[in-house]
Amino acid sequence: MTKKTAIIASNGGLFDAYKVFNIATAAAASDHEVSIFFTFEGLNLIHKEANQQLPMPEGKEHFEEGFKKANVPAIPELIEMAQELDVKFIGCQMTMDVMGLEKEAFVDGIEVGGAVTFLAFAQDADVTLTF
Amino acid sequence: MVQTDKVLDARGLACPMPIVKTKKVMKDMGSGEVLEIQATDKGSTADLQAWAKSSGHEYIGTETEGDVLLHYLRKDGAGTVEETIEIPEVTLSDFQVRVENGEQLNILDVREQEEYDEAHIPGVKHIPLGEVESRMNELEQKQDQEIFIICHSGRRSGIAGDMMAKKGFKTLYNVVPGMRDWTGKTE
Repeated sequence: MTKKTAIIASNGGLFDAYKVFNIATAAAASDHEVSIFFTFEGLNLIHKEANQQLPMPEGKEHFEEGFKKANVPAIPELIEMAQELDVKFIGCQMTMDVMGLEKEAFVDGIEVGGAVTFLAFAQDADVTLTF
Repeated sequence: MVQTDKVLDARGLACPMPIVKTKKVMKDMGSGEVLEIQATDKGSTADLQAWAKSSGHEYIGTETEGDVLLHYLRKDGAGTVEETIEIPEVTLSDFQVRVENGEQLNILDVREQEEYDEAHIPGVKHIPLGEVESRMNELEQKQDQEIFIICHSGRRSGIAGDMMAKKGFKTLYNVVPGMRDWTGKTE
């Protein structure tokens, strides 16, 4: 049976983005069915403009060089990869309302839903992660 | 070395890209075909082993060439193309008793170089799993003798046993588990 991985992304920094998308693509590449629920600052990770320049944690800016040296893919690249592998992105409706954001502000192909949409998927997930 | 049907260049790529690319290439390969993955990401060895296990492919082994790791995977595992020969198992504790009784056993350690360097049973023959296919002739004179194959857990030694049994080695034993739980002498 297909394994399921459910991820909640609730933070909007560059490190958070890598944690979320690396695990998601790795799981999808291992034939897991993967859904990510983006809520609060996590929405930055799939925001068309914001995700191009996600902030490093304060005081950790020197890691930028390390990212380049290790040839780590850029976040938009990882997102594309994730979507190619059928990772499902769910944007949190409530947060979008609070922040005054429309679905069009986000990368194509996302679903918008409430907490229950995610819970329905997560309730029988084999792996559940929160970042 | 293993006959490869396809080569994937994943050099310079960081996690999780080697896995993602492997997955993509593997999708279009035929059952039983062997993929060589060239990678520089040091985590790729463990990742590919785990990935192969969870997705039903056979991890044949890894070789190093300078800074480049060469991983070999067989799509869908060996069992689907040809029968796998399961060699009989001997428990680590029974095996250890025989070693400690001073019996002159033929022991083949199929772990990677680094694992072997760290600790191995004195006097063993060492051939990493990825080289077993091409180097098993080094044990040719012992084809009719008992050979005990050992690795970390018993998985790679099982694969090596399968390969060797197919080439005419008669009395092979897989030591299970392996060096992971070995409490005897090492060097």
